[in-house]
Amino acid sequence: MEGRTVMATNDLMIEAIDLRRTFKNREAVAGVSFSVRRGEIFGLLGPNGAGKTTTIRMLTGQIVPTAGRATVAGCDVVKDHQRLKERIGVVPEDQNLYERLSARNNLNFSCWLYNLPESRAEEVLELVHLRERAKEPVRTFSNGMKQRLMIARALLHRPPMLFLDEPSRGLDPISAREVRGAIEELSREGVTILLTTHLLEEADQLCQRVAFITQGRIVANDTPRNLKLAHGQRTMVASLNGQAANGNGSGSFTEITLRMDNPDDQARLAQLMAEGKVQSVHSQEATLEEVFIEIAGVRPA
Amino acid sequence: MHPRSVLAIARKDAIDMLLNKSTLTLLIMPIVLAFLFLFVSKLVGGHVTNIVVYNPGQSRLVQVVSGTFDPMKVTEVNSPADVMAAFGPNGSKKDSAYDVGLVIPANFESTLQTGGHPQVGFYINENNVDPHLAQLLQAAIISYARQLASPQPPLALSTVTINPPAISNFGQVTGNTYGAIVLLISFMTGTSLMPGLLIEEKEKKTLRMLMVTPASFTDVVLGKLLVTLVYQLVLSLLALAIMGSFIGQVPLLLLYTLLGSCFSLALGLLFGGIFSTASTAGMVGGFLSLIYVVPALFIGPLGALFGNSAFGQAMKFVPTYYIADGAYNAIQNEGSLNGHLFDIGVVLGCTLALLAITSWVLRRQASVAAAI
Repeated sequence: MEGRTVMATNDLMIEAIDLRRTFKNREAVAGVSFSVRRGEIFGLLGPNGAGKTTTIRMLTGQIVPTAGRATVAGCDVVKDHQRLKERIGVVPEDQNLYERLSARNNLNFSCWLYNLPESRAEEVLELVHLRERAKEPVRTFSNGMKQRLMIARALLHRPPMLFLDEPSRGLDPISAREVRGAIEELSREGVTILLTTHLLEEADQLCQRVAFITQGRIVANDTPRNLKLAHGQRTMVASLNGQAANGNGSGSFTEITLRMDNPDDQARLAQLMAEGKVQSVHSQEATLEEVFIEIAGVRPA
Repeated sequence: MHPRSVLAIARKDAIDMLLNKSTLTLLIMPIVLAFLFLFVSKLVGGHVTNIVVYNPGQSRLVQVVSGTFDPMKVTEVNSPADVMAAFGPNGSKKDSAYDVGLVIPANFESTLQTGGHPQVGFYINENNVDPHLAQLLQAAIISYARQLASPQPPLALSTVTINPPAISNFGQVTGNTYGAIVLLISFMTGTSLMPGLLIEEKEKKTLRMLMVTPASFTDVVLGKLLVTLVYQLVLSLLALAIMGSFIGQVPLLLLYTLLGSCFSLALGLLFGGIFSTASTAGMVGGFLSLIYVVPALFIGPLGALFGNSAFGQAMKFVPTYYIADGAYNAIQNEGSLNGHLFDIGVVLGCTLALLAITSWVLRRQASVAAAI
């Protein structure tokens, strides 16, 4: 029994227990408990000011929790602070690169800090497809390139745990897709990732599990699919031919939305199909955003 | 403290400072100023030494004397009376066109070689020739004579000095004062650079990135102090070299350079801790750079003239006055041991006090930052 418990604990990259942080009289994080398994992409989702960044700052040792405890990659975030720094990579919310330095020099600087050979900088530049631009000052880069460079910097010392705070913030759709691609690639390589975002579609696409945080508290924690099944309404969209829908014989068609779990809607669909008025039917799952609104009572952003 | 992190931060900043136009300007400024002061110093101190000689036998003694001066102009006259007339009696005050005069008898060298004791007249205008230099010239004349008729005292040298010194060797003294002023001005670099380096890390939020690496905040501060100290020392030494100020008590001058650099950095670090924007720190730093310029004006000849005024006395409350005073005395090879110890003590004490205050400010900021 004890052996099984130890194995399970070793499998956890993050274990936060009743983590709290108070700033003056305001409780930014009010007792957060969750765990992240090795190799998992875990999403901490919530609106601005919900406590996501404060939670990340506590987990990365930047600020000390007022109460509670947490271990990250086997290190206590308060007691093993220095060892923790060697085992995590952090991509913060704000872009904080040295803009006058080249991409290569930005990474070389991190190599010097972590006592790594400069050849490692070349490897990660290749990984984020920035080798061609390595000599150029970072100030000439697009937002997407800067974000990729920050991810490269966080990966330089091969940390088993990566924290990404709003990785797609301020990016155009193409850059955001590039960054998502990089995250998926890292996950495939076994890196555990905790990301915060208010883009629930992104979280749905990337995360194996998500936690909804609002007003400093986690209000839900599960896989996106389970959350949608538990809290969302499954619907069907039926396309009806125009005559059937509005009786004017114009040849156009109309869409109606029916709740799959509602007996009246089920009966209505059956009737429409029997009458031959349905052109097509497709099911529609609840979005994570709808689930969030349902659970938290607020929009995520 | 992690030496690896300190060196990494210093190395990064060393590159970044050269890529930043504003810091590059600050780095170049002391060198430009040194050249400017050198130019002014040459204008003021670039005096052509006029030598008047009566030398009927074309003695080489004239070359021995004239070779000491650069630039110089030698005027030959037809009689000893012309030289005497140009200078006047010993100890008199006279507005002479000449700085050095020589009356050399005919057959000077051959008289010496046959055991004679020729008499040489040596005239000095101490308005333009330092008394120490005059003594050196006399020694050079005797040495030349001894080469020809060693070992007896070979010649009778009669020396006439006019215009005993009020402010002697003005050009040289002014040059040395400029050396000390340029050294002081070069210290503005550290005070201006240091806050920018620290504040930029906060403004650009790169400090937050550094805090999740093995580097600690102490490493960040030490790295920045190290790179600024290296640049500061290189600049100050370059400025001194340009001014030709590595004369006098050089080790003492180097000590004042090191102390001044440390004081400058401590002040800059305090600004970096107090102010949150680079523009505010730059504005206050610019204003406070006066503490490097004004006290330097109260050393040397100007200090002798105005040092006893109320303003001159007030300058003695400014620590940089003691850097300027010590450095000037080291260059001039002047000042007592006690005087130097006092200067060093004041500068060292003020630097340590600044570092203690800065440490308190930075620790307080760190605790406040963690609480908000």
